[in-house]
Amino acid sequence: MNLPAKLREMASWHTMSPLLVFLAMLLTVSVLNSAYLGPLGISIVTASAAPILLVALGQAMVLNIGSIDLSNAAISLLGSILLALALPSLGIGSLLAILLLLTLIGAINGAIVAYTQVPSFALTLGTLGILQTAALVASGAETIYVSENRELVTMFYTYKLANAPLTFWIGVAVAVLYWFVLRFTVLGQNMTAVGKNETGAIFSAVPNRLVKIVTFAISGFTGGLAGLSIVAQAGSASTSGLGSNLLLPGIAAALVGGTSISGGLTNPINVVFGALTVAFVPIAIQAIGAGAEAQSLVYGIFIILVVALTTARTRDAVIK
Amino acid sequence: MTDHHAVLKLTDISRSFGTIKAVNSVSLEIRRGEVVGLVGENGAGKSTLLKILAGIERPDSGQIEINGKRVNFRGPNDAFKAGVGVVHQEQSLFTNLTVAENIDKQNSNRRGLSRFGIQHWSRLNREAAAVLDKIGVKLSPKAIVGDLSFVDRQMVEIARAVCVDPGAGVTPLVILDEPTAVLEQAETEVLEREIRNLRRFASVIFVSHRLDEILRICDRVVVMRSGKLVSDRLTRDITKDDLFISMVDDVAIAPHRSRSRPRASGNPAISVRGLSRKGRFKDISFSAHRGRIVALVGTNGSGRGALARSLFGAEAHDRGTIEVNGKPVSGWSIGRAVAAGLAYVPAERKTEGMIGGFSAARNVALVHHDALKTGHFLSPGRLARLAQTWFDRLDVKPNNIDLPLSQFSGGNQQKVVLAKWLTSPDLKVLILDHPLRGLDVGASQAVNHQIRRACDEGAAVIMIPDTIEEALEMADEILVMRDGELSARHDLTVQGTPAIQDIMAEMV
Amino acid sequence: MQDHLSKIWKGPIGLIASIAVLILLFSVLNPRFASVENLQNVLFQVSVPLIILVGTSMVILMGSIDLSAQGVMGAAGMTWILLSPNTRLEIDLGIWAWVAALGLGLLLGLATGVIYAKLRVPSFVVTLGTWYVGLGIGIILYGNGMLPSLTDEALARWPTRLTLGLPNSFWLAAFVAVAGALVMQFTHLGRGILAIGNNELIARSSGLPVSLMKVSVFGLAGLLSALAGILATMQLGSGSPDIGNGQLFTVIPAAVIGGTALSGGEGGMMRSTLGVFLLIILNNGLVLAGINPDYQSGVFGAILIVAIVAVAWPERSRLKVAK
Repeated sequence: MNLPAKLREMASWHTMSPLLVFLAMLLTVSVLNSAYLGPLGISIVTASAAPILLVALGQAMVLNIGSIDLSNAAISLLGSILLALALPSLGIGSLLAILLLLTLIGAINGAIVAYTQVPSFALTLGTLGILQTAALVASGAETIYVSENRELVTMFYTYKLANAPLTFWIGVAVAVLYWFVLRFTVLGQNMTAVGKNETGAIFSAVPNRLVKIVTFAISGFTGGLAGLSIVAQAGSASTSGLGSNLLLPGIAAALVGGTSISGGLTNPINVVFGALTVAFVPIAIQAIGAGAEAQSLVYGIFIILVVALTTARTRDAVIK
Repeated sequence: MTDHHAVLKLTDISRSFGTIKAVNSVSLEIRRGEVVGLVGENGAGKSTLLKILAGIERPDSGQIEINGKRVNFRGPNDAFKAGVGVVHQEQSLFTNLTVAENIDKQNSNRRGLSRFGIQHWSRLNREAAAVLDKIGVKLSPKAIVGDLSFVDRQMVEIARAVCVDPGAGVTPLVILDEPTAVLEQAETEVLEREIRNLRRFASVIFVSHRLDEILRICDRVVVMRSGKLVSDRLTRDITKDDLFISMVDDVAIAPHRSRSRPRASGNPAISVRGLSRKGRFKDISFSAHRGRIVALVGTNGSGRGALARSLFGAEAHDRGTIEVNGKPVSGWSIGRAVAAGLAYVPAERKTEGMIGGFSAARNVALVHHDALKTGHFLSPGRLARLAQTWFDRLDVKPNNIDLPLSQFSGGNQQKVVLAKWLTSPDLKVLILDHPLRGLDVGASQAVNHQIRRACDEGAAVIMIPDTIEEALEMADEILVMRDGELSARHDLTVQGTPAIQDIMAEMV
Repeated sequence: MQDHLSKIWKGPIGLIASIAVLILLFSVLNPRFASVENLQNVLFQVSVPLIILVGTSMVILMGSIDLSAQGVMGAAGMTWILLSPNTRLEIDLGIWAWVAALGLGLLLGLATGVIYAKLRVPSFVVTLGTWYVGLGIGIILYGNGMLPSLTDEALARWPTRLTLGLPNSFWLAAFVAVAGALVMQFTHLGRGILAIGNNELIARSSGLPVSLMKVSVFGLAGLLSALAGILATMQLGSGSPDIGNGQLFTVIPAAVIGGTALSGGEGGMMRSTLGVFLLIILNNGLVLAGINPDYQSGVFGAILIVAIVAVAWPERSRLKVAK
């Protein structure tokens, strides 16, 4: 077999593996305990996958340019709290305003990375801290229940399409949109170029700073949609409730979805399967009959296993 | 100093990759104190042979004898223990460690059990000082390598390569793999002196594309072609043409196209006045006209690379003006430079010139994509057609636009990098930094051909050549830089061709 | 020798100055800050993150990242307390409780190292996994039973007890930190870590045992995280899988503020140590100054940003690549 054909084969394994992993998991569960795969099962999995998926999509876009956004889950949490606070008085307009604000926060992250040239890992760790404090202060460390105008957002959760809530379909739509951007626009080409070799991109007149600002802004915006899905599902928001722990599942979903941690490689559509897989793990554990305590353990092993199986390896590459 | 005791003896060494015989039954002897040149086009099998000697690759068949003893290298350490030290093409030093540590890095793990043991700084420094002294280099063993100049680092490399245990009674064999590829003329002289020094106690295999250098330095030259050793002759018996012919004789060589050298006329495409950047270059004034090639020559520290980057907006300048098409520019950046019709091919092709993980087609479409859009979106069909057009025009091999660019050979990569800029609807100034670095003779000719063609089609070319010979072959005007300033200029269309010695004198 | 000592301390002037300014400022804001009790308190608080940081710094210097500390702490802390005199189980293995807990940490670290070095999974991902795995082990050990608390008074009070005026916790951490610094400067492993962090390909081609070193470093990091888990459990007096909560948010900023480059090869143990001191003093001072503890993560975050921007600012260039 010649080299190109071999490469193509590897590429296709890499393209297909997130779907295959998900299907394998589905199959295992259906054999062991098919009760989990009924309409109720689908709606539970997709509902819990929705916020993970949205956070993961933003993360995947950032990972694709070779950076990481540790703050995007905190952005979505802050967004959910602000939304819960503003919704009663401002109605649906508050959603737009908050999305705009969060996009701006993301853009600020990007601008600092772009112009001060600090590592995004360290910077967004810092913004994460600030946003956590902001969320605590905004909520007064209490749960904010949406008293009025509640149905304006909960309808995104209660309205179901093929048993899956609208929040999940928003995630799918965003995934398709991002896939399209990466594949068919100059912006997307520039993003991937920066992720694969930023120096090379700079010398090819790729506006790398703009690319970073836009990408982090996208991460903020998508985080905002995740915040919406949290409020839609819970009807409330708090710093310790639903959606307060999305950072690691988000990264895990992006990775399981075939996104490379070292940049230049992602397929947003596969991230959908990554998010579904991550959301499915707790259910699978129950289906197998293990206790809920085992969840973290299985989760950890699973992440390592999936990435170990799907990572494309070049013989001499340095793995950091 | 040469005696007839063979330090290295290769008998019928072969190594295949798939169906390709990279090294095909090579036999070679190297005697004590001998400097042997190894030449051949890229892909002739030189690097594989070197890797076998360095213990990185293992031969499929044949035997290696060192000092009369048959050896079998299982890894770089074995080769090193036997006295084979390699100075690689790219510097392979740890910039955050000291000179002594770098010299010793391979020795330290010879001590087996003490791999994780204690670092004896005083002994380490003493031993390194002795080695540095032996090759006559004045460097502190305690200096951090990252703080040293380029040529000093090269000396550390050589010190490392000759650093074999004196007690073992081994004659070191030092392999220099294109050590001059990134050195400038003056630094090369330092290196040549160094090599003459080395033969007092070591044998040397010297690999270079620069045939003049080979003829100056080596006692004997061996030529490889398609994996075979095709010529092995004493330097005094051969000429550069002989070497050239034995390297490429079954390849059709395109005759040098004699260019009509146009005199400068009309408005320059780009002109700079009093351009300065602190610590790099100062008060540079010159202009480049469409259809002409200007070559910047100088040593490594002459500031010509920095000048090229400032022209392209990759680095800022402090003072002076740049005019493009007669209009002074402001807020100069890569983005504006490209919009104004400038193009730049960097010296570091793999890291700066291209996106290796992208397909060749995406690389071609990286800069100028307006023609590839339908509405706001990139059309994959147009992208493929454009890339295919340029692949055909530049004869890129393999003719597969979807392959990642990192999988092409150096020459073909450089063609794609050129194509990326040539897609410009209005290319005014083409800046090339070491466009032939690491390319073999055939690929160099192909790239030079494209440079001339771009020039003929109306671009002003500003190039930083590897050698003065290259400048004389290509340029209409030669600007000599020394210590950041223009020290001389030669308009070849007016004054005729200057002598190499004169230019060298102006460089140092 | 003097040479090398000065090298260890190279470049921390700014950090020392910032710490001095903070101490001065907080002493003015609240006189209690400068009291002996509070100093002892600061040293007490520094101990756990400092022990973790020694391992994490080595990993970062090697050019990798270690996120697993909190998980390993949970696993080791729970193991240790359940095998020591406690309110849950009637087992007291004495020294073997330590061996078991430290052994578990070492094992988790070694497994991480092997998966990273041999299966070539990025360290970010493996250690993210180890984090969960450790946490999972801790959760399983915790089960649904009652809270396990230390019943041995002497053991529970050991961390706070003073020796030569300083708390035992700190002596332990200081011992680990000094040992770490010595390893970095005076052993082949330490120099090898720097070499790998600087350029792994060259390290490999020079015949350094790169994989072995990676596995060793992650093993060491696991061991130290386990030690930190035991110490934290002892300090708290009871076991919890979440014993390590928030440590990552102290340790990584501390390393970065100390000037350890996340890209590897640059920085050092002493500088990271100063980073921990800076953050803990800051936190302690703010609490004494009457600032709501809710603000802690915000303040740490802001300091981290200011520190990294201050370091990166003079190095800005059009061609610099920041990941």
